[in-house]
Amino acid sequence: MKKLWILISREYAQVVKKKSFLIGIFLTPIFMVGVTVIPSLLAMKKSAETDKLTIIDLDGQGIGKKFEETLKRYKLDDSSPAYDIANIYTPRPDDSTGISNLRKELDSLISAKKLKSYLVINKAVEQNDSVVLVGRSFSISTNNRFERRISDILSGIRLQKSQINLGIDSVLNLTRRIELKEQSPGGKSRDFGTVFLTGMVFVMIIFMTALGYGQTLMRSVIEEKNSRIIEIMVSSVSPFQFMAGKIIGLGLATLTQVGIWLAIGLAIYSYRGTLDISADIMGAIFNPVIIFFFLVYLILGYIMFSTLFALIGSICNTDKEAQNFIFPVTMSMILPLIIGMYVIQEPDSTVVTVLSLIPIFTPTLMILRLNVIGAETFSFANSIVLEATLGIILTALAIALIIWLTSKIFRVGILMYGKRPTLPEILRWIKY
Amino acid sequence: MSEYLKIDNISKAYDGKVAVDSLSLSVPKGSIYGILGPNGAGKTTTIRMIMDIIAPDTGSILVEGKKADSNFKNRVGYLPEERGLYKKMTLAEVITYLAEIKDYPKQKINQAIDNWLAKMSLSEYKLKKVEELSKGMQQKLQFITTLLHEPEIIILDELFSGLDPINIELIKDILLEEKRRGTTILFSTHVMEQAEKLCDYICLINQGKKVLDGHLSEIKAGFGKNSIQVELEGDAAFARDIPGIDSITEFNNYIELKVASKADIRMILRQLTEKVNIKRFELMEPSLYDIFIEVARAKPEEFIWGNKK
Repeated sequence: MKKLWILISREYAQVVKKKSFLIGIFLTPIFMVGVTVIPSLLAMKKSAETDKLTIIDLDGQGIGKKFEETLKRYKLDDSSPAYDIANIYTPRPDDSTGISNLRKELDSLISAKKLKSYLVINKAVEQNDSVVLVGRSFSISTNNRFERRISDILSGIRLQKSQINLGIDSVLNLTRRIELKEQSPGGKSRDFGTVFLTGMVFVMIIFMTALGYGQTLMRSVIEEKNSRIIEIMVSSVSPFQFMAGKIIGLGLATLTQVGIWLAIGLAIYSYRGTLDISADIMGAIFNPVIIFFFLVYLILGYIMFSTLFALIGSICNTDKEAQNFIFPVTMSMILPLIIGMYVIQEPDSTVVTVLSLIPIFTPTLMILRLNVIGAETFSFANSIVLEATLGIILTALAIALIIWLTSKIFRVGILMYGKRPTLPEILRWIKY
Repeated sequence: MSEYLKIDNISKAYDGKVAVDSLSLSVPKGSIYGILGPNGAGKTTTIRMIMDIIAPDTGSILVEGKKADSNFKNRVGYLPEERGLYKKMTLAEVITYLAEIKDYPKQKINQAIDNWLAKMSLSEYKLKKVEELSKGMQQKLQFITTLLHEPEIIILDELFSGLDPINIELIKDILLEEKRRGTTILFSTHVMEQAEKLCDYICLINQGKKVLDGHLSEIKAGFGKNSIQVELEGDAAFARDIPGIDSITEFNNYIELKVASKADIRMILRQLTEKVNIKRFELMEPSLYDIFIEVARAKPEEFIWGNKK
């Protein structure tokens, strides 16, 4: 035990002393914010500028005018209007040269960025539903708004024409739609952005620590193999102690790093009033149940992947050789990121549930599901808590198997220099 | 002398290829014991089995009559054939670390480091990184890490490989000093000339099998004095016809005669002096190399020295 402790403290000191460790503590969150927060913030963000629009109304029933009215309800954050209708053209529908000249002119305005887009309301639109929006780029929220508003106006006109004698405004009022607000059980409001953000923050931390430190460990094994120090080490300690010392030493460095992140996060959380930060997001992150499972999965995920990386390091002589072996491991870590969107929409589907119980996917997928489904208390009545606990047991069993296998291969592999062994050779090592 | 290490009938095969085949040997306490043989004879595999880095397929290894336990790792100083250290650590750090994992008392380490660095004239590099040292200095440092924790037995694989001539002499002196303190020393090498100057006991192995073992001087005596070096004036070609002489090798200023084991040496001398002037006539012991060549060429089963005696 004493020797193991000496090994652990050296590995720990080697990592923590390095400048890259300190840099990693501050750069990783920035990188994480970069890849997870910024895209979702951008997607959620309302456009900051007033969109300049033009309408060509070929229908001639004043739909364009009506549309302009309805758009006035949309405001930007600074309460300036979201849309500015510069012009409503109403050329005669049979003046095709006039129309095509007008469109060419508007097209060039769009190309010169003097106009965001223009809307073409075609003739007899109430029958053929033909409305076209021309522009360089479109936002989902604008498209939804336009669709909804024009549909409403057309419904009003149709209702009127079918002799139900109501004014357009009262028709609009009677046919108005609702907006769904999402909440998790317990009444906390949830929206797509928050779920995506918090879930991905946890997935990214697990993913990056396991991958980053796993590869550090693999490289150090390869380096110690190349410098031949490894044979001196295993003459003083057992290969298993040597491997365990590396994994635990680096693991403590990982926990130090994540601990610092949590502390920074908590500090920000406690000052959330003064700093203008969404309480929803921070509240979702600092949920004790989720934090508990996160730390367990972080540790399990780290042990599982770093052991695999130690195995790869022990059978390879160069980083380059190792790349071939790393690929399947990295792929299994990336999968949750790839199917992340699907998990957020269908966290309880059979496919996702089964995948999240396969140990190599458990740490990342299960923490994502926990975030999406939500768990306020530690009760097995909530199926996700039960499944997350089952995931811990299965992962622990898989880790035991991986460690057993790796310790067999490791002790032979670290003494094999030169040619990279073939798979049958590696399997025979288990018996040595 | 009591027996320190006993290897009893160990064998090891890799993927059907036999690396070590029913090898037995006995290392007396406080002796210098050499395992000699050509490359690929199974020396490294044997040493790795003694170090419990790999497990033998069959057979047992006993240290002072007991099966080696994890405690044995603390009492041995091991230098593998392929050498290396943590290049980014300082000399003091790397020596301390390797002594600590040998369970060497912490309070003794610092003093020992200074003594050893002074002895190897590396004192001024104490706080330098290993990678800043020259190759020769790294070799000396490697020896410090092998010996600092006062091991009971020092095991060195291919002792002379990669050593420059100055370091070879230095290391020989240090090993002899260790021997005087009662340390048992076991090493392997394929350099027979060097082993001959250092060893008390040897074991010759070839193709995984023991060819012969025993006390070096006894082995040599057993093989008899079978060669004569003669410095003479004139043509020595006639010597071929002298009865009892098997072969002649001519060197620049002397000739070497290989003689049959029952030959009458005085008769040979008399016949030579009749024809030429002789400046020097010397009976030589066979070198280890000669013995190895003679023995290894024959079938190993026929040359189990212990049985023959």
